[in-house]
Amino acid sequence: MAQPSPIVNLRELRQSCADCALNPLCLPASIGGSDLLRLDQVVKQRMPLERGEILFRENVVHPALFVVRSGSLKTYATLPEGDVQILGFHIAGELVGLEGLSGNGHRCSAEALERSSLCEIPFDLLTDVAAKVPGLQQQLFRVMSREFARELEHPVMMGRKQAMSRLAIFLRSLSDRLRGIGHDPRVLHLSMSRQELANYLGLAIETVSRLFSRMQAMQVLDVDRRSVRIVDPPALAALAEKSDDEA
Amino acid sequence: MNANTLIHPVLARAPVFDAELIARHNVNGPRYTSYPTAPHFNEQFSEEDLRAIVRASNEDPIPHALSIYVHIPFCLSPCFYCGCTRIITRDRRRADQYLARLLREIAMTAPLFDRDRRVNQLHLGGGTPNFLDATQMTTLLDALRNGFNLSTDAEREFGIEVDPRHADAATVRMLADVGFNRMSLGIQDFDAEVQLAVNRVQSIEQTREVIVAARESGFRSVSVDLIHGLPKQTTEKFARTLDEVIALRPDRIATYAYAHMPSRFRAQNQIKDADLPDAATRLALIGQTVSTLGAAGYRYIGLDHFALPDDDLARAQREGTMQRNFQGYSTHGDCDLIGLGMSSIGHIGRSFHQNARDLLGYYAAIDAGHLPMQRGKLLDDDDVIRADVIQRLMCHGELDMRAFGEHHGIAFREYFPVEMERIDALQADGLVVVTADRLTITARGRFLLRIVAMCFDAYLDAAPDGARPTYSKAL
Repeated sequence: MAQPSPIVNLRELRQSCADCALNPLCLPASIGGSDLLRLDQVVKQRMPLERGEILFRENVVHPALFVVRSGSLKTYATLPEGDVQILGFHIAGELVGLEGLSGNGHRCSAEALERSSLCEIPFDLLTDVAAKVPGLQQQLFRVMSREFARELEHPVMMGRKQAMSRLAIFLRSLSDRLRGIGHDPRVLHLSMSRQELANYLGLAIETVSRLFSRMQAMQVLDVDRRSVRIVDPPALAALAEKSDDEA
Repeated sequence: MNANTLIHPVLARAPVFDAELIARHNVNGPRYTSYPTAPHFNEQFSEEDLRAIVRASNEDPIPHALSIYVHIPFCLSPCFYCGCTRIITRDRRRADQYLARLLREIAMTAPLFDRDRRVNQLHLGGGTPNFLDATQMTTLLDALRNGFNLSTDAEREFGIEVDPRHADAATVRMLADVGFNRMSLGIQDFDAEVQLAVNRVQSIEQTREVIVAARESGFRSVSVDLIHGLPKQTTEKFARTLDEVIALRPDRIATYAYAHMPSRFRAQNQIKDADLPDAATRLALIGQTVSTLGAAGYRYIGLDHFALPDDDLARAQREGTMQRNFQGYSTHGDCDLIGLGMSSIGHIGRSFHQNARDLLGYYAAIDAGHLPMQRGKLLDDDDVIRADVIQRLMCHGELDMRAFGEHHGIAFREYFPVEMERIDALQADGLVVVTADRLTITARGRFLLRIVAMCFDAYLDAAPDGARPTYSKAL
C-alpha cells in the first residue's frame, strides 16, 4: 500500500496544553493562565511518527518524558540472543520514557504501531517548571505512579498460568484505559499484530488466535480483523479474574 | 430474525419461473463472483501493495483461513462456446514449462503467509486441469502441501474441474489420492448434434465412468455443468439431456447461459448465428431446466446452481453460511483467496489482484523473481459495504437493512437513496418486496438476482476509460 505522504497538521502541532483533550490526565486541576504558558514553553510537540518509526532506542541518553497524544506505541527490550521482549503498549494519554529519566540511557526502545503524535518534555526543564508551578509536582507523581501501576500489570498477568486469563486481563486493561480517555470501552482497535500480542503475553501466536476464536464462540468478543468488540464485558471480567485452578 | 421464519426464507418459497418477467429484465450484467468486478482493477496496484496487504492479513487477531485457486490454462481442443482464458495445444511438455513456473510462484507466495493459516479450500480450474498427468499433478499437490498448511478434514473443499473426455477411473483415483474430494465435470449437452456444433463430443459412458469412479474414490460432491442457448439446442432434445443427467445423480448441477460474444471470444466465430436458438427457446430451456430439476429433487441454490438437499452447499444455504466467490457459490467463503497461475485472481483483506493474463507475461514475471500480479484494486469502505449487500442478496435472497446498517455504521436508506429508487421499481415489477427493515427477493425474482444486485453496483455507470465492460446477459 502506498504510504500516505506525511501531512503536517499545523493546528495539531501548535495546539497547546490549554486545549489538549488529555490535559486532565497531565495537569493539576488548579493550573491557571501564566503557569500554563510556562508549561507550554517546555512541552515540545513533535512531528507525528509513522508506523514502525522509532521514538527512542535502548541505551540512548535522552532524559525526557513523552506523552502519547494520538495513536499508539510499543516498548520493547532487545534480548542477548537478538530476540525482543515487548514490555508494553501505550495509547493516548499515557507516558513513555520514564525508565530513561535517570540519565543513564533508555532501558527499552519505543516504536510507533501506527501514525502517532507525541508531546516531549525534557526532564531538566520539567523539574524547573515543576518547582515553580504549584500542584504540578504532585500531579507529576500521580501520573508517574499511575503509569508505574499499569506497568505492574504485565508481570502480574505473566504470573497467570491460564492463557485465556492473560488475554482477558490485557483486553480488559485496554478497555479500561480507553474509557479513561473518553473512548467507547467496548470497541478495541488492535494496533499491534497478533505476533506482538503473543510476544507480550508469552504465548504462541496460534494460541492467541485460538483464544480470540474461543472468546468469539463464547460470545464474549466479536472479532472482525483488527477490530474487537467486547460483547459481554462481565464475562470478559470473569475470565480475567478466573483463578488458575478453576478449569 | 423474524419469529415466523422457522426455516430459511429462501427455502420457504420455491422459485417461480416467470418467462415474461425474465424476458423483460434480460439485460447485460456481471455475475458478481467479485465486487468490484475484474474490469475495474487497475495497474497502480503494485507488488509492494500486495506484500503489505498479505503481511497485514497475518497480523489479524484471527487471521482468515486460506483458499487457493490454481489456473491450468491448457486444453487439448477448443470448445467453441468457451470464454475462459485458455491455450489450445496437444504438446503436453508445455505443462512441464508451466508447472515449473507454478512451483516457483508457490515458493515465492507460500512464505508470505503464516504457517498456522489453514487452507480449507483448493480449486483447480482451467482450461483443463486434467491436462496435467499423474506425475505433474502429484508434483503440484506436493508443492502446495509443502508450502501451505493444507487441511486434511473431511469438510475441506478441494475441487478440480475435470474433462471426462480425457479422464478415466484411474485418473479419478489418482485425484482422490492427491487430496481432491470434489469434482466438477463439463457436460454442456449430451445431444450429438449440439456436441458437433460446439466441437465437444462426449459420451454418456465416458461421463458415467468418471462419476462412478468419483463416488467409489470417496469424492464428497460431484457437480456437472450444463449450458443452455447452445447451437442446435431444442427443448425436445434438452429434455433427454436432462433425464440422462438426472440418471447420473450428480450432487450439484450448474446451468450456464451461453453468451454469444464472438468479437470477444474468437472460438465463438465457429458457431453459426443461424444455429443459435431464438430468445423464446432460450427462455423455454431455462424454464424446462428449473421444473425438471425441481421435480427430480434438486434444490435451487441461486443464480444458476442446483444441489441435492443433503449436499454441503444446500445445507450451507439452509444454515445461512453460504458465500459467493470466484468459484461461484461456496461453503468456505470467508477466506483470504490466493490465486496461482496465469490470469488467476486473489482476494486478500480489502483488496483484489489478478496475475498476468498471458503466458509470456506470467513467465517473464516469475523468471525475474517477481510475484506475477499485474493489476488489482484496493477496496474503500463504500466498496466493502456494496460488496456485502450484493453477497447477501446473492446468497441469502434477503437483507435485513437495519442490522446491515448497524453492522456497517450506516443508515441504509439514507446511504442508498438512488439504489432504493431502483429497488422500488423492481418491487413494482414483483422482483423484490421491501418492508420497513427488510429487502426480500420474491420467488419470481430469484432468477433475476443479478438484476437486483446491479441496483447496488456503483461502477455500472462509471466504466473505466469511457468503455463499458462487456457482460453477458443476466440469463
